[in-house]
Amino acid sequence: MKKRTMETSLAGHSGKLVRSIERRLFLRQGLSLGALALLSGCELTDDEGVQSLLMGMSRWNDRAQGWLFNPNKLAPEFPESAITKPFPFNAFYSVDEVESVDGASYKLELAGLIRDKKPWTLPELYSLPQTSQITRHICVEGWSAIGKWSGVRFSDFLARIGADTSAKYIGFKCADDYYSSVDMATALHPQTLLTFRYADEILPPKYGFPMKLRIPTKLGFKNPKHIMSMFVTNEYPGGYWEDQGYNWFSGS
Amino acid sequence: MKPLETIALAAMLAAGTGAWAADAPSKPMKMDEPMHGEMKKRSMKKGDVKKAAEKKEREMKPMIEKEAAGSARK
Repeated sequence: MKKRTMETSLAGHSGKLVRSIERRLFLRQGLSLGALALLSGCELTDDEGVQSLLMGMSRWNDRAQGWLFNPNKLAPEFPESAITKPFPFNAFYSVDEVESVDGASYKLELAGLIRDKKPWTLPELYSLPQTSQITRHICVEGWSAIGKWSGVRFSDFLARIGADTSAKYIGFKCADDYYSSVDMATALHPQTLLTFRYADEILPPKYGFPMKLRIPTKLGFKNPKHIMSMFVTNEYPGGYWEDQGYNWFSGS
Repeated sequence: MKPLETIALAAMLAAGTGAWAADAPSKPMKMDEPMHGEMKKRSMKKGDVKKAAEKKEREMKPMIEKEAAGSARK
């Protein structure tokens, strides 16, 4: 009896079916390789080469998320009754170590691809037209909470300072040394706010005084607090947690 | 003042003081202590963020300045 190989078995079938089976085999082999990698434990992922590969895959994932991002799709908004009380404090330090920023001498510094780099004082920022939103903050740690933030629509602020909105990234440096960056499409999203108030009060230090970028379409660590300066660039700026391996785009 | 009013006033004052105290920073960050929160890896210290920020600044600043200067010339 003639031995049936995969080639002879598939010979009579259409090319479409063969391609489908080849894809399945590829996926199965890929999954097996992934399972093997997991079974080998943590050592594999500690390797610099593997880290570099994973970072590369994460950057590819960022690009895919960027393509899929719908700038017109809004995050859900909630009534006042849904607000989480108290809103949780979360940072890489405890609440009694929150950075103290002097509002009287504060100036927001601007750099990069921005036409008017004049620093902004708090009274100047507070005088801008403001809007409020009640949205859900979703933390990568697995919890979420609903809060009310008020501030200037970030796209309006970017237009006012003459930011090059054809650039790819906006980076932020914060008083507590934290840093992060976002894609321009998210920066221009109508719900992305440069906020100065929480629950109708001036942002308390624990929630990011003097300002927090609130992005309801992204995870919490992409919402920098205590912002001291920002820059517009085409050079990938990364971010603190992002450089540790968290997905940079981290949004929908 | 009636006892009930006194208690209510005392409670309001205590709540107000408590809220102020919660927002008032009382001590500088201890950089050599382990990080708070769930995102950290075991060995991460609070001071790691400052070190990383300084390294990032050194890397990014010349690029951003060069980019901005190039843009201004156009």
